[in-house]
Amino acid sequence: MKVWHLAAMAIALSGTAARAADPRYPDWPCTQAKVPEISLAAVWAGPPLDDVQNKWKDDARISALVAKLSARKTPLDKAEKSVKEFLAASGSDKTANAKLLFAGLFDTLNAQRSQVMNGLERVSRKQREAADKIREETLQLHALQGATPRDEARVEALSNELIWKTRIFEDRHKVVRFVCEVPTTIDQRLFALGRVIQQEME
Amino acid sequence: MLRMWRVGLFSVLTLAAAPAHAFIAYVSNEKSNTVSVIDTDSWTVTKTIRVGQRPRGIDFTRDGKFVMVAVGDDDTIQVIDAKTQTVVDSLPSGPDPELFAQDAAGKILYVANENDNTVTVIDLEKRARLGDIQVGVEPEGMTISPDGKTLINTSETTNMAHFIDTSSRQIVANVLVDARPRFAEFKHDSSEVWVSSEIGGTVSIIDPRKHEVIGKVTFEIPGLRKEAIQPVGIGMTRDDKTAFIALGPANRIAVVDVATRKVTKYLLVGQRVWHMAFTPDEKYLLTTNGVSNDVSVIDVAAQKVIKTIQVGELPWGVTIAP
Repeated sequence: MKVWHLAAMAIALSGTAARAADPRYPDWPCTQAKVPEISLAAVWAGPPLDDVQNKWKDDARISALVAKLSARKTPLDKAEKSVKEFLAASGSDKTANAKLLFAGLFDTLNAQRSQVMNGLERVSRKQREAADKIREETLQLHALQGATPRDEARVEALSNELIWKTRIFEDRHKVVRFVCEVPTTIDQRLFALGRVIQQEME
Repeated sequence: MLRMWRVGLFSVLTLAAAPAHAFIAYVSNEKSNTVSVIDTDSWTVTKTIRVGQRPRGIDFTRDGKFVMVAVGDDDTIQVIDAKTQTVVDSLPSGPDPELFAQDAAGKILYVANENDNTVTVIDLEKRARLGDIQVGVEPEGMTISPDGKTLINTSETTNMAHFIDTSSRQIVANVLVDARPRFAEFKHDSSEVWVSSEIGGTVSIIDPRKHEVIGKVTFEIPGLRKEAIQPVGIGMTRDDKTAFIALGPANRIAVVDVATRKVTKYLLVGQRVWHMAFTPDEKYLLTTNGVSNDVSVIDVAAQKVIKTIQVGELPWGVTIAP
């Protein structure tokens, strides 16, 4: 009885996961719209960064700071404070350093965001496969239960397996919903740090 | 010595007078179900008020005594006493109220109910429902002409601005605008109505007498895709010279010269900038930024962002005590 309930729920859940809002991204499992990349213009109204490119990687101090500020474990207010301190201590290099720092944050956080989004789509594909499997095995179980003579051992084994698979499916579903918030959190961090950098440049 | 005294006394007097310019702003936070109270002197949040679910449209009553906030998921409009800063009453709207407009006298309130395609008319003194007006699908933006005779309601799905005669409560004209009209704003001299279209990415300018689109404001930000530019809130200075238009996920406010209908400047504010309100002295403009969860303060004369204030989650609307 229990297994029926779980399997039905799993199928219902997979339906939600598979119903992509945007036909361009069939594997995107989140209710939040998928924006593949943050465009520079959405977060930066400062001077052009064309002359900076990858140069931030060559500056050990800046690349270390970029790594620290990009880490989710660094609280945002602390990160903002570090930006201010770093630029205040930059003297005549302030504008150059500000551009390098932002270029580094933009590259790093955009990459971090892509990684999370790719992960979400990978899990979403796995979930779809798992849902198919659960659906298939539920039908098999149904057939076994209706057969005469009934093979109790096989019914028992398949029931247990289904309960197990459904549980994994549900747990993953919960995690996906939580992870769906992460790209937005990264957007917020990039925007907030970019804003502080631009204010400090003025 | 005496002179120094005088100077000292003078500065004390001016300092003492300074707080008179402080205003109180109320910001609705759609996701955290709260209203943040901001003091415009210290630019800090002085109180966070728990309200009903999904607060969006927010406005002071004309006498400045109460703040009305539409709490869509609770199907009502709550009334906050500005003195005690607590919810004291509610108004009978239809289902899922989003935005509302009141007449110049502050006696009648018109509420757009997103879910049942109606505008509810409420008597503010009696706090009683007077009737309903049938409008287009998913009514959104609401504004009333300075003379109080015409109500404009935009409908999200039919892409129209409905012109409603407030005395007969009948639709007198429908004007087609670009996709998903969100907000409408009259020029103070009543000569034009500006309607923002979130998906269309434009602001249509309508002649309210002829009911015709007579111009359009368009936006272009290098490096940003067209679909990221989503005009929503509109604010116009009292002299009708400058308009400020919130561009949603473009994270910018466009500053528009009303005479030429051209953008003169873009100001980077916060993420998903939505609505705005001027301080009564028009020195500052406050914008709500939904994704960065903050409010930007723009110096209107300098056309510069001078401050950012963290509020609740998904700030939507803002109103400032008259």
